[in-house]
Amino acid sequence: MARALRAESMKIVPPGKKKCVWMEAGVVSYKLCDNNYDCPTCVYDHAMQTKVARQKESMEMKPVGAPPEKFTATWVEKMMMLPASGRKCRYMITGEIGRKICPSAYECGTCSFDRMMQQRLQAEPLPVETPTQVAGFELADGFYYHEGHTWARPEYGGRVRVGLDDFAQRLLGKLSQIEMPNIGHELKQGEAGFSVKRNGETARVLSPIDGIVSRVNEKLLDHPELMNSSPYQDGWFAIIEPTKLRKNLKDLYYGEEAHTFTSDERERLFSMANDDLNIAADGGVSVEDISGELEEKEWGKLVKAFLRSK
Amino acid sequence: MKSKGGSSTLSKSITICSLGPLDDMITEHVAGHISNRCGLQYKISSRMDSPKYAFDEKRGQYNSKLILKRLTELSHNSLKFLAITQVDLFVPILKYVFGLAQVGGQCSIISTYRLRAQFYGHEPNQDLLMDRMGKTALHELGHSLGLTHCRDRRCVMYSSTNIADTDFKRSDFCPTCFELFRWQLENCGIRIKPRMPQF
Repeated sequence: MARALRAESMKIVPPGKKKCVWMEAGVVSYKLCDNNYDCPTCVYDHAMQTKVARQKESMEMKPVGAPPEKFTATWVEKMMMLPASGRKCRYMITGEIGRKICPSAYECGTCSFDRMMQQRLQAEPLPVETPTQVAGFELADGFYYHEGHTWARPEYGGRVRVGLDDFAQRLLGKLSQIEMPNIGHELKQGEAGFSVKRNGETARVLSPIDGIVSRVNEKLLDHPELMNSSPYQDGWFAIIEPTKLRKNLKDLYYGEEAHTFTSDERERLFSMANDDLNIAADGGVSVEDISGELEEKEWGKLVKAFLRSK
Repeated sequence: MKSKGGSSTLSKSITICSLGPLDDMITEHVAGHISNRCGLQYKISSRMDSPKYAFDEKRGQYNSKLILKRLTELSHNSLKFLAITQVDLFVPILKYVFGLAQVGGQCSIISTYRLRAQFYGHEPNQDLLMDRMGKTALHELGHSLGLTHCRDRRCVMYSSTNIADTDFKRSDFCPTCFELFRWQLENCGIRIKPRMPQF
């Protein structure tokens, strides 16, 4: 009994992480989701499906008295063994809704509720906790940051929302226009994906990940100021169906790395803004419109230096 | 002018000067703090005029870069020159600064304006103000000697974004910054005791 309790206590799910559906169904004892519940592209899900299929096959050939196989049912089959009231919908597992029981044997592809949730979640960005202040700039926790000052936020179902970080929006200042790629357009990590305009000048913004654009924030077309007032939430740029998510995320800054990157960028910006005197300051939050303050500096020069686009 | 050390050592001392009206106690505390922490000699020079030329009407603050430029144009018979003012300072791109220095240069400036507890709606606290002044002065002196910002939040060379950062850091250099500080002073012909900072 004590052993079982100890084993249960080892299954702590860290804050911000979610159980894999294979763990939720009780097929495996411990596995966290690392693919944003995008099971069709999950290597682990494929491996488990194959393993279960093989073990099912071998069970038919097995001599009497052989030890039982460990994985003889998929997570869906395990879930379907539960009473109807225990079959949690995948949006209940991910915490996006309070309570919802799956009515359709986990065939999410044909589920109308799933379609509604997909549309709803794509239209509205997930809420962002109070951003952390780093060197006078805001950084949203749980986001991945590209060196060109764009962010990527993986969301449930495998899609990734992208936008500009607080450093970039302060650097660029009040924008007059934002140009989005067409839906279906293919983006490459580190290559120009979006354009922003100010006073007739254009700055190209790099995409933080590879993928296909599945939705753009149309509100930005009429209200580009949203990007300044809410860079991590209402000012998002687009939703991407990623094609190399795991590889791409490894090339982005996250957590403490993102903090260090922002601090270094702040130092670099300060040096560039005051290169005539080589000064250093103690104290100070950045102004809202850095470009507006540095009228003598070329906007294009700042864009090239910090957005790292040509 | 109050001086600690003979006139022959003036060029190896730190000059501290107020820009505009300032409580003498603050100047003396900053001087004493620098002397205690680094063993450097100091002199307190007579007050200079308020930096009205640096007032920015749009921001209602004083451009510390302009003040620093003006100070560097003057001749100072000392190793480093630290100005203290009670006006609110800023530099382009930042909303405010507690202090500003030329990296590896002679001059630096600090302000009491945002170091006072009253600025944050609290009761006046002289001890807290002195503690903050000491840290900011040492930070700017470090820049004057060529030190850049340190990543250690406890080190006095950590770049404070707000007053909480200043209150968190200690009134001393981390061992790495102290060694660098000592080495830079040696390059200027000044030897100080190889004391380990209180870290």
